[in-house]
Amino acid sequence: MRELLPVLIVVGILAALAVFGPFIAPNPPNAIDIPNRLAPPGGEYLLGTDAMGRCILSRLLHGARWSLGLAFLVSTIGLIAGSVLGLVAAMGGRTVDWAVMRVTDIFLAFPDLVAAVVVAGVLGAGTSSLIFALTVTGWMRYARVARGIGLGLATRGHVVQAQLAGLSGPAIARWHYVPALVPSLTVVWTGMLARAILGISALGFLGFGVQPPTPEWGTMLLDARVHIRSTPLQMIWPGMAVVFCVLAINITGDVLRDALTDRDAPA
Amino acid sequence: MLTVERLTVRRGGREVLRDVSLSLAPGKTLAVLGESGAGKSTLIASVLGLINPEHGMVSWDGRPIARGAVALVMQEPRAAFNSRLTLRRSVCEPLRARGLPEDQDRFFRLCRGLELEPDLLARRPNQISIGQAQRAGVLRALIAAPPLILFDEPLSALDAATQKHTARLISAIQREEGFAALIVTHDLGYAAAHAENIAVLREGRIEEAADADVFFRNPQSSYGQSLVNAAVALGALEHRAA
Amino acid sequence: MNGAAELLLRSVVVLSGTAILTFILLWHAPGDPALTIAVARYDSVVSADVVDRIRTESGLDAGFWTAFSHWITPLLSGDLGNSSVSGRPIWPELRTAILLTLPLALMGLLIGLALSIPLAILAVRHPGGWIDRGAVALASLGAAMPAYWLALLLILAFAVKLLWFPAMGTGSAAHLVLPGLTLGLGVAASLTRILRSALLEAKGAPFLPALARRGVGPRERAFSHVAPHAAIPVLTVAGLELAFLLEGAVMVEVIFARPGLGGFLIHAIQARDFPKVQAVVMLTAILFVTVNLLTDLLYRLVDPRIGTRDA
Ligand SMILES: Nc1ncnc2c1ncn2[C@@H]1O[C@H](COP(=O)(O)OP(=O)(O)OP(=O)(O)O)[C@@H](O)[C@H]1O
Ligand SMILES: [Mg+2]
Repeated sequence: MRELLPVLIVVGILAALAVFGPFIAPNPPNAIDIPNRLAPPGGEYLLGTDAMGRCILSRLLHGARWSLGLAFLVSTIGLIAGSVLGLVAAMGGRTVDWAVMRVTDIFLAFPDLVAAVVVAGVLGAGTSSLIFALTVTGWMRYARVARGIGLGLATRGHVVQAQLAGLSGPAIARWHYVPALVPSLTVVWTGMLARAILGISALGFLGFGVQPPTPEWGTMLLDARVHIRSTPLQMIWPGMAVVFCVLAINITGDVLRDALTDRDAPA
Repeated sequence: MLTVERLTVRRGGREVLRDVSLSLAPGKTLAVLGESGAGKSTLIASVLGLINPEHGMVSWDGRPIARGAVALVMQEPRAAFNSRLTLRRSVCEPLRARGLPEDQDRFFRLCRGLELEPDLLARRPNQISIGQAQRAGVLRALIAAPPLILFDEPLSALDAATQKHTARLISAIQREEGFAALIVTHDLGYAAAHAENIAVLREGRIEEAADADVFFRNPQSSYGQSLVNAAVALGALEHRAA
Repeated sequence: MNGAAELLLRSVVVLSGTAILTFILLWHAPGDPALTIAVARYDSVVSADVVDRIRTESGLDAGFWTAFSHWITPLLSGDLGNSSVSGRPIWPELRTAILLTLPLALMGLLIGLALSIPLAILAVRHPGGWIDRGAVALASLGAAMPAYWLALLLILAFAVKLLWFPAMGTGSAAHLVLPGLTLGLGVAASLTRILRSALLEAKGAPFLPALARRGVGPRERAFSHVAPHAAIPVLTVAGLELAFLLEGAVMVEVIFARPGLGGFLIHAIQARDFPKVQAVVMLTAILFVTVNLLTDLLYRLVDPRIGTRDA
């Protein structure tokens, strides 16, 4: 599992940011300081203030908990749900496989961000409908990958032996399927983590996600948008935070994928 | 009692087995002979229920063969082990599946008999030789004492001495525990020494089925004759002739 | 092989599933839909009688399956139904919205193709060279860039600082530039990546040196041998890009305050005008299921080995 190291490092840093960000924030995220509203960077507020005089740096750091923390949650729930379904499809025989894959197709019959907007919007703004919306629209890739690998494993000698031994389905999955899935699913997971960060901020920006005054990066962009003429920097920061995290995760995912495809190349 | 009735199996559009019927009593050994591609592995897979026959039936005492009541020693010994688990974990899987303890006595006795040291079983499949993997495969098949064991060329990767030794050990345990053994082999000496019944498979059909004594004295099928003649010429059947 | 029939059955199953799932979602949406409609229609305090009347009228009191069949029966004959807020038929309004989004999507696609094709071709000339690395870096940056932020950056640069193009609204062709560019850059990012690896793979294909030895010229090698191989992934990508365009168009339209499909959907959600939401969902699903069906069929034409279970 040494290939997973880069993922662990980058994800560890981001997780640390989500956990400890609020503690290193210099100011409370919602403290209003009207006399200092729309202050430029430098001086008392390192990155300046927004229209209500709230410290942008502090809001960014607190926002990490929402933007990154929720992304971890959403992509991990998707990982579990999707891979269980994919394994059920791969191990359950032709009929089960067909049914599960059609359910997957149904959820794929739609661009996922649009689907997330519809689900989140219909269920009403708020964090729980945001989580639900991004999860129900984000498990399909896991299912497909898990099924694909699972079908390949079904005829392997050790899987046949486990079946003949009378090992139960879940035990076979646990010992003979899941370990083989981990590397590929980690690659998918990094992709979905990045997607979740983008999705959370997009829904926040549309007003369907995390609600103000919670400092989430998308909602911060929404606030900043009106002041694009007077204080354009205000919208630069949250956008940069999103791009930086997504870029870091995507690059890690690419590195991991390359490492895995090198190793799996025919010996 | 294993009964195979008029089994016909189709793979990739071709009939690979046609109207194959066999029976095998507990404690007995049936050796299946045949050229490469004759359908021997397919027969084994059908008996195990891994492929569905076009028609025909496989049963044990009149009932379908239950999972856990049959074991298989595979033709490719290393592929039979999960590369991420230690051999010992894989070998003891049949015990764990039944919730049995890793029966210390029997386990160590079998290990000794198969010359598998505990240290070797702590390794992973890519860290052992093919012959060692094959013996570990035999160990896994025997460990939970199933009533029926299928062997797909179980000893092909072993040197002559280990082959003899392992075959004798399998026979000894069979006498003790009474399992039925279906053995696919190209080794006529082995069949002559250990099998009570012989079946010759050719292009998916049973060409000849006979008691071992009858077969070796007077093979009916042309393939059987060529096999026996070749073996006699090599002196592989000495101890039976004696 | 029962390929085509099975694929068709799949499409029907997927569309029915989409219809049922959407209906379940909207059925369980929080709030009393009758009250929402009443408020939207009469724009004031409404009495309980009015709400009850609307409930009966709209078949909302009849239970899930009755309501579902009320909706699905006309849909099967091509009738998308009426807005629950205005009571007017949905299709004319939706068609207008689609026609407004179409130029934007086309613009985005054109910009995307115009940027990605030359970039990918230049990149694979010297794999690992500086153009190649630059292209990969740009594509990665583009993939990490949320459309709404890119839009804001473009507005900041070209509308606020340079005053070249208008930032918001519709009207002239100039209004299309920044939204089209936002969309196009996103398309270019993903297309460059995909084209680049498809070209690399085709270039590295083992049959090329053999062709060269047989005296097939570089131009012919590129057009009659490399291109068909690159076409297979491009086929799949077409579906992906369509999704990307639709998704991007929704976001871009909202940011640039352009009327179109995005505004139509968002307003329908905000007004809780569920028949409209359903109409958009079903049309999109039909579009994508059709595209997927065609892709699968084409795949089978290109490579007949593809079986039903692994397709
Ligand atoms: N999945 C498959 N699809 C199509 N044909 C198959 C498949 N598996 C096996 N066959 C064919 O069935 C025939 C029997 O194969 P089988 O593996 O049973 O032979 P065998 O007798 O075990 O040979 P060997 O001694 O070489 O192991 C062969 O002709 C083989 O090509
Ligand atoms: Mg074989």
